[in-house]
Amino acid sequence: MRRDMLPWNLLGIVVALGAWEIGGRMLGDGLLAPPSSVLAAFPALLRDGMAEALGTAMLQMLVGYACALLVGIPLGVLMGRSRMADRLLHPWLSMLLVTSTAALVPLFILIFGTGMAFCGALVFMASAFYIMLTAYQGARGIDRRLMAVARSFGATRMQAFRMVLLPGLFPYLVTGARVGLVHAIRAMVMAQMFVMVGFGGLIAQSGFDASTAGLLALLVTIMLVSLALNRALDATGHRLAPWYRASKAGH
Amino acid sequence: MRLRGASAGIWPALSILAGLLLWQLVSLGFSDFILPPPTAVLQRLGDPAYLAELGAALAASLGTMLAGFAIAFAVAVPLGTVMGRSPRLAAAVEPVLTAFYAIPPVALVPFVVIWFGLFVEGRIALIVLMSLPDILVVTLAGARDIPPRLIAVGRSFGASPAQMLRRVLLPASLPFLFAAMRVGLARAITGMITAELFLAAAALGGMMKTSAEAFDNAGVFVIVVLVCLLGLAVQSGVRRLERRMLHWHMEENR
Repeated sequence: MRRDMLPWNLLGIVVALGAWEIGGRMLGDGLLAPPSSVLAAFPALLRDGMAEALGTAMLQMLVGYACALLVGIPLGVLMGRSRMADRLLHPWLSMLLVTSTAALVPLFILIFGTGMAFCGALVFMASAFYIMLTAYQGARGIDRRLMAVARSFGATRMQAFRMVLLPGLFPYLVTGARVGLVHAIRAMVMAQMFVMVGFGGLIAQSGFDASTAGLLALLVTIMLVSLALNRALDATGHRLAPWYRASKAGH
Repeated sequence: MRLRGASAGIWPALSILAGLLLWQLVSLGFSDFILPPPTAVLQRLGDPAYLAELGAALAASLGTMLAGFAIAFAVAVPLGTVMGRSPRLAAAVEPVLTAFYAIPPVALVPFVVIWFGLFVEGRIALIVLMSLPDILVVTLAGARDIPPRLIAVGRSFGASPAQMLRRVLLPASLPFLFAAMRVGLARAITGMITAELFLAAAALGGMMKTSAEAFDNAGVFVIVVLVCLLGLAVQSGVRRLERRMLHWHMEENR
């Protein structure tokens, strides 16, 4: 987002909120609660333990997401740097990328039950392959000439990895982590909604309320959490490697 | 997203074969309830009555998916094109789009139920909600990146607005329209199976639920594999169409 466009960004947000408020008042709380009613719904939700449910859900999500990073990044880099690994792993990557997480839900319930393992496994399957794909694209795109230069200056394999490959790869890893996070949060909510527990359970149950204010408050909450986590990853990436944002890997 | 590249040789096929063999071996250690071997999954497909049921469910699923995708595509492409040509409009819509994108789509299910009900209208609505933002994002980025050179050439040769659209803007936007189609169809397939599982059980999702309730894991596997193959087939189909229609673009990018 460019800075000189900031007034237009704000205008868009104000118009959207205004339209929601007016539309909500016309349609009523049963169909679309306006932002004012949604704000008023927060105290009751917090009293019902929304914050605790959200905390537990995020923790479960993070376990699956961390596993996805630990598996996805090395495999993606390996695929990008070794032609043989690419040939062997590519068909699996393509297949698992198009596999809908939703389709895995009934299968995983039979395999893992409905507890934490189920949620973690679903999050893993939803995010690992996007992370792997981005790492693969990054590792493949590293300029051969750069590696050759490093070698001709007498860099060891380890040095070439640390000084050429890693800095070039880093922007892709951050992008992969951000894309993976979006999918991880989606999968977490999906898992919990299906078995009606935790934060996702709250969303599923609020569908039976007479007013949509509670439901919308939950949606706004998860939206804000997702935006905040994404922004945090972006900021961390920028801080660790200032060249990351300039390269806009994978965008 | 590019998934081609290393498809050369027999290695990919060999890798899939090795995976299936490994699955077969591992499944020996588990009961068929938990992890059925691939042979048990294949055996299912030998039953003609089951195949007929599967075919009917697949047709029903595909129908809803295409209806939802068509609506999303028809709305998102013009919208994205207009937004992409106006930086101010894009700046106004982008934060709202980002915010909407951050909501897990499945969390919209209760809303869809309130507005459109549990059945086919609800399923189509969820598919539209899930594929529209992705199509919009791709179209917007594409429309923004039409080389100004092309437009300038059209102008200086005195093209009328209609000629401009047909001879310059449309051909220049075809590549990203195909990208939007690929992304949108992938999302629509996910939306389809999500809707069939999270709204009233129907078609392929319904078959999955019935099998799961009977602890028939092989039956569940069949649908998972089928949905996965459907995704791959649709992707390669669009890509083939793209290659046929856009040979000039492919050449240029080589």
